[in-house]
Amino acid sequence: MTATTASKSKRNGARWWQRSAPPPGRDNTAVIGQSKSTPYLFTLPAILLVAAVLGFPVLYGVFQSLFRAPSLGAPVEWVSFENYADMFSSDDFWHSLNKTAVFVFGSLIVGTVLGLFFAFALFRVLGRLRFLRAVTVAPYIISNVAAAVMFRILFNSQFGTVNRVIEFFGLDGPSWLAKPGLAMLVVIFTQVWTDLPLTILLLLGGLMTIDQAHLDAALVDGADGWTRARHITIPLLAPQLLISTVWLSYSTLTGLGVVLALTGGGPLKATQTMAMEMYSVAFRSLEFNRALAIATFILIVNALLTLGYVGIGRRFEYDQ
Amino acid sequence: MTDIARPDEPVAAVAAVNAVEASSGAPKRTGRAKETARKILVWIPLILLVVWTVTPFLVTLSVSFKQRAEVFADPGLIPSNPTFDAYGEVLASDSFTTSFVNSLIVGGGTTALSILIGVPAAYAFARFRFRGRHLLLLFTLLPRLVPSLGLMVPIYRLAVVAGLLDKRITLIIVYTAMLLPLAVWLMVGFFQQIPREIEEAASVDGASLWGRLRYIVAPLAAPAMITIGVLAFREAWNEFTLVLVLTNTPGKRTLPFELYLMQGIEGIANFPGEAAFTILTILPFILVYTRIEKYVVAGLVTGSGK
Repeated sequence: MTATTASKSKRNGARWWQRSAPPPGRDNTAVIGQSKSTPYLFTLPAILLVAAVLGFPVLYGVFQSLFRAPSLGAPVEWVSFENYADMFSSDDFWHSLNKTAVFVFGSLIVGTVLGLFFAFALFRVLGRLRFLRAVTVAPYIISNVAAAVMFRILFNSQFGTVNRVIEFFGLDGPSWLAKPGLAMLVVIFTQVWTDLPLTILLLLGGLMTIDQAHLDAALVDGADGWTRARHITIPLLAPQLLISTVWLSYSTLTGLGVVLALTGGGPLKATQTMAMEMYSVAFRSLEFNRALAIATFILIVNALLTLGYVGIGRRFEYDQ
Repeated sequence: MTDIARPDEPVAAVAAVNAVEASSGAPKRTGRAKETARKILVWIPLILLVVWTVTPFLVTLSVSFKQRAEVFADPGLIPSNPTFDAYGEVLASDSFTTSFVNSLIVGGGTTALSILIGVPAAYAFARFRFRGRHLLLLFTLLPRLVPSLGLMVPIYRLAVVAGLLDKRITLIIVYTAMLLPLAVWLMVGFFQQIPREIEEAASVDGASLWGRLRYIVAPLAAPAMITIGVLAFREAWNEFTLVLVLTNTPGKRTLPFELYLMQGIEGIANFPGEAAFTILTILPFILVYTRIEKYVVAGLVTGSGK
């Protein structure tokens, strides 16, 4: 008894990477027939590949952002943080930061509202309609470029379905992709369209874990549908809302495909997000090291935003 | 992903609603009318969901069956003179046929390599005890957070130095690496659910490690492996930002890149052509969609890193 307690308290005190210490009373140290090198033979290809293709290039990129070629094609020289200083003093960068904020938070709002709306709708008919689940997931199998082509047809000023509907009500449809403000709106809708399947599935999964007793109690107390959603369901959904927020934010902040294929940053740089700015600096101006500074900045912003969401999420979570 | 069963609790909720309504003395008929109204209200958001998702597909499909000149004159959803001209034009073009073949090869290669490398790694992480296990697992999973945007410039520069541009094998390796964290994560969870005792029993009966993997683990893990295969193929088929920098010669690109170029090359936009190209790009998925959909859902939900 004392031994069990001791080992238990030791396990609780252990750091997270040691958490799965073998449970007492059972020999889990080896699978029968396992030689000492087998685990490494099995895991090494995966580890090496991930390290070589994902880990190393990112670190190399961050390191290279501290260098610069004095002229195009010349060998690079150490310039410490000069690339970053130039970046922060460039108008284009601040413009793109501005556009990114609109893009990220616009997509977050539209995506979360639509995601909640559709998740609630699907929850009502759960299990009865597999067809609806299939429809929900369909945008996930489409590439960003294909989605961009579809939305450019949909929002075309002359024959696009959206403008046809507007004309039906006797109004003139605008030329969506030629007007700076509207172009950003179309980009946001396209991005949300591609990302919504995951948001909906996440929130739907969250709804299914909610203990119905909470809702029953509120119902008996006479709370109407909106009050129940606002004060019970949505706070209980906090963990799933947090994950979907982190995901949507990551996907828009680092997303290039939709913007590049839909508007290319135009019109008049109205949709020039930081991702587009990085792409232009790297592959149009061929200033790779300056682009790496922007990329590093995006990675840092992404990490900070994620920490911020987690902080906000903690505050709203229920103490159960 | 198990099928979602509707929990029994809503029955209780409905009972509670009825109880509340009965106790408040509302006439029964109003209650029934309310029920009907509620049923209609349930369907409106669902119809909106279908419209939201399906409209872009339908509009694209419609435009793909029109003549270039007709697109503007005949903006209706159902083409008045449906034609396969756009499809013929796309299918006859080198840009489509070569990129389609490239996408098939890269997709198949990525699928095979992801399973070949990811499954043994996940099995080892789930079953074996060995030194550095947790740290190595962390090293495998953490790069999942690296966005492809952050890889664009460094990978391009490294590929230039190593002379790996314009090669399908480069794309296969890069996509496999991008998929591996997810694949390992998914499979580790899956292997942990397979009872160890089954393997121990086989082992007592004299089965070797290889024999157990081949005849016990692999058949049990088939659904999870199909999920990984579908996700790997999807990634390779749809990926755009990295193929954009890793290839720059005609005949070496994959479908998304060629579709992207199609928008810019011709002076006047060829909407039916683009639409037909898009539809043909999606077609392989649409054809098997009802079969792969549940694997896509499984991968999607697990992939969110819950």
